[in-house]
Amino acid sequence: MLVSGYYSWNWLEATHVLTLMISIGSLFIIDFRMLGWVLPDVSATAIADRLHKPMIIGFSIMFITGILLVYAKPVENVQSLWFRIKMILLVLAFINAWVFNSRMRAADGTWDSTRVAPKPLRTGAIISLCLWCGVVAMGRFIPYDWVDCPKVSNTALLWASGCVEQLNAL
Amino acid sequence: MLSNFLSNYRSVTSLAFIVLAVVLVEFFEVRASIYPSLLPFFEWLKYSSWIGYLGITYGSVYATVQAGHLISMAIIGGTVLVTDLRLLGVLLKDIPSETITKGTHQCFKYSLSVAIATGIFCAAGVADKVYYMPVFWIKMLALLAGSGFVFFIKQPLLNSRSHSEIGQWTLRILAVASIFIWFTVAATGRWIGFS
Repeated sequence: MLVSGYYSWNWLEATHVLTLMISIGSLFIIDFRMLGWVLPDVSATAIADRLHKPMIIGFSIMFITGILLVYAKPVENVQSLWFRIKMILLVLAFINAWVFNSRMRAADGTWDSTRVAPKPLRTGAIISLCLWCGVVAMGRFIPYDWVDCPKVSNTALLWASGCVEQLNAL
Repeated sequence: MLSNFLSNYRSVTSLAFIVLAVVLVEFFEVRASIYPSLLPFFEWLKYSSWIGYLGITYGSVYATVQAGHLISMAIIGGTVLVTDLRLLGVLLKDIPSETITKGTHQCFKYSLSVAIATGIFCAAGVADKVYYMPVFWIKMLALLAGSGFVFFIKQPLLNSRSHSEIGQWTLRILAVASIFIWFTVAATGRWIGFS
């Protein structure tokens, strides 16, 4: 029903993509602050604390719409190499966010008003930026059929994409 | 007196002239006569320019640039959100709004430049299609309006004096208009993919 309805699918996908502006937009502002690229005169923890709520709202909407998008086309998504890489990057991004948050809370507050955060937090911010850019890129690659099961003959790619039928046929 | 007025309100009068020009162009059906003459340019962009060639030939390059376009739009969204929600008094209330608007503008400018550059690349790959799409032209109009709004109205006004001297309602209207325009730019961009 979700796929066959022109507006239901479009609204769902549009919401998923547009919520990037809230979730990743807020997250990148936090990361950029840690690197001293934006708002260098504002306390870094204040930025991180205040943007936490809109960021979580954005990510919640993205997850709900994302789950519905996968639910609508389960085989296509699960057998997509890009979707699988995206999921791995998502898990890594959340582990990084958890480590980053723990480090930020554990650090003493003397760095808070300095232009750039201490090295471990800067590293965390750069890893976060790279992982989320990867998540967006993989999400963008999913509709392309470069490595769709029927088109692939490489065993490693077939295995990575979970193309069981094609693997058995080899 | 007129020159004094024009020098004091240069940005606003420039924008007023642009809006007037757009209205006149529409009223005298200049747009309708210009539109067909743009088709050769769009066809050249897709089939003869190097960006069009790259976009058509290498799907992976096209998709990567599209991802870059999305990321730059997300950063624009982040800066707009932080600035405008502060002006609305929703976020970062204990930090002066002057600090927030100045601190995010540079980032906004960079991400807008990247969004425009990647957007041109993306449009070049499907130039013969987007030319016929009303939603593409609505996006271009919204982008023009958004850029004009930021550089000719919002920033000059916010930088002209302390925000406490600007009326609360003026700041709120500014913030709501900004969110509305940039949401329209993003939403119409997404809709191009569905058309």
